[in-house]
Amino acid sequence: MKIKTLHMAALATSAACLLLGGCSSLGAKSWDRDLMARRSMQPVTHPLIAGADDHIYFSKEGASGGRSFDGGGCGCN
Amino acid sequence: MQLSKRKGRLTAALGLMTAGLFAGAGAHAQQASQNINDDTSTDSGLTRVDTAILFYQEAGGRVKATEPVASFTLNDDSGDVLHVKLTADTLTGATPNGAAPWTHDQTFITPSKTQGQKTTVTSASGNSTLVTIPGTDVTARQYTVAANTLPVDSGFRDQRYAIDLGYTGTRDNGDRLSFGGSYSSEHDYSSMSANVGYARDFNDKNTTASVALNFESDTSKPYFGTPEPLTQMSGTLKGGNRQKTVVDLVAGVSQVMNRYWLMQVNYSLGDTSGYQTDPYRIISVVDGESGAPVRYLYESRPASRLRQSLYIGNKLALWGTVADVSARLYHDSWGINAETLEVAERIPLTSFLYVEPSYRYYHQTRANFFRDYLIDGQALPENASSDSRLASFDASTIGLKLGMRVRGNDELYLRAASYQQTGTSHPSYAVGDLRQENLFTGVKATSVILGYSFAFY
Repeated sequence: MKIKTLHMAALATSAACLLLGGCSSLGAKSWDRDLMARRSMQPVTHPLIAGADDHIYFSKEGASGGRSFDGGGCGCN
Repeated sequence: MQLSKRKGRLTAALGLMTAGLFAGAGAHAQQASQNINDDTSTDSGLTRVDTAILFYQEAGGRVKATEPVASFTLNDDSGDVLHVKLTADTLTGATPNGAAPWTHDQTFITPSKTQGQKTTVTSASGNSTLVTIPGTDVTARQYTVAANTLPVDSGFRDQRYAIDLGYTGTRDNGDRLSFGGSYSSEHDYSSMSANVGYARDFNDKNTTASVALNFESDTSKPYFGTPEPLTQMSGTLKGGNRQKTVVDLVAGVSQVMNRYWLMQVNYSLGDTSGYQTDPYRIISVVDGESGAPVRYLYESRPASRLRQSLYIGNKLALWGTVADVSARLYHDSWGINAETLEVAERIPLTSFLYVEPSYRYYHQTRANFFRDYLIDGQALPENASSDSRLASFDASTIGLKLGMRVRGNDELYLRAASYQQTGTSHPSYAVGDLRQENLFTGVKATSVILGYSFAFY
């Protein structure tokens, strides 16, 4: 368990470092963000649908969270 | 009952915290594009109301849910945001009680919500009666499940009401600090939580780093009390309420990769301690030769659970469409490892209409204490549950969303989805006549969400 935890944390840290470290060469200039500014490019375009999906998957599957908190409010697992 | 509830809490809050990537690039709503597919308007200075209703139905007459929800997001010109979300759930139907199916009828007895009465009632299954336990004045509920069918308890009905609050403040340097909380209540369960988060932009707002912490306290209060784990199912009232606490940490980075590509990476760590057993769920103890049920025990789960996940999400604007591709790796201390892959493609149809097909694949391994049943005469394990959510299975979801601009940047949307789990129905280790029974209790479900979102000053 501890090894698995360390592996996943290391993977996350590596991914974050890659983004943060390499970000100076990434990105778009402010005049080049027309596509990025679209509502359709928001990470979550329909929060109520995302919430309903999280609700369903949380109550039917063993895994949860990732995109946001996976807390609970449920005694079922 | 505590079978199908959750809060997708803070999905919106975290979305707000990454909003810096988009800030400053859009126009106000009153200047919204006439084309819903290239709309770059923002809600700065506006109040947005998003309302939706979810209809959810599991095949085979199992759980049915109706969930109206409304959220109100007040945005001021400086970037501060106040968010309120109200949810109501109504759940009915039949849910697996945890026992294995058998070649003959099975009768179960459980404490009744109504004490001191001896009347016959008919549930959705038509097989539920109230009985008085001999020698006592205790009223119990008894129901019979037909041979070769999944044992379900049809006496399932509950309502939940929830409120979520969140506030995100923008500091002079552009950093966002957020606070929030939630409360939900139903007949046999209550939950409250508080959270705090921080987000900062880097690299000319091409990068956002965020961290958020959530504390939650839940109380389980089954109508008949909380049974002692791995004791025999009976009609007598059980113990008192039980609690659990949850602490979650989410750290993430969002990065504009180039003009067309946005990536988000989140690492989540969660610790749950306290009562995590399903008080309504039992597990069969069967004869090791024939597989016949000998007795039924209340299930048991460990009191602690450490969960972690790595989530990678991508949004890609290509050839007029927007692709949403995400993956998640999950691992917890109960032994569950899971992989999730989701793909959606938003395709413009006209200037006011788009369609978005989606597909989701999910796979998990079983929890180390998952058992289809226990064998009579063998030593009881420390924990045991036959809940299909803890079994090894695959699941797939096929969805289709339709969005339509009504006026300005108001939107009417509809999303239908079909969800199906597949698992091992006839495991090789099954004993006796249980080899003939379908031991996988996974679900097949359909959901429809209809929503309308609008904004005003």
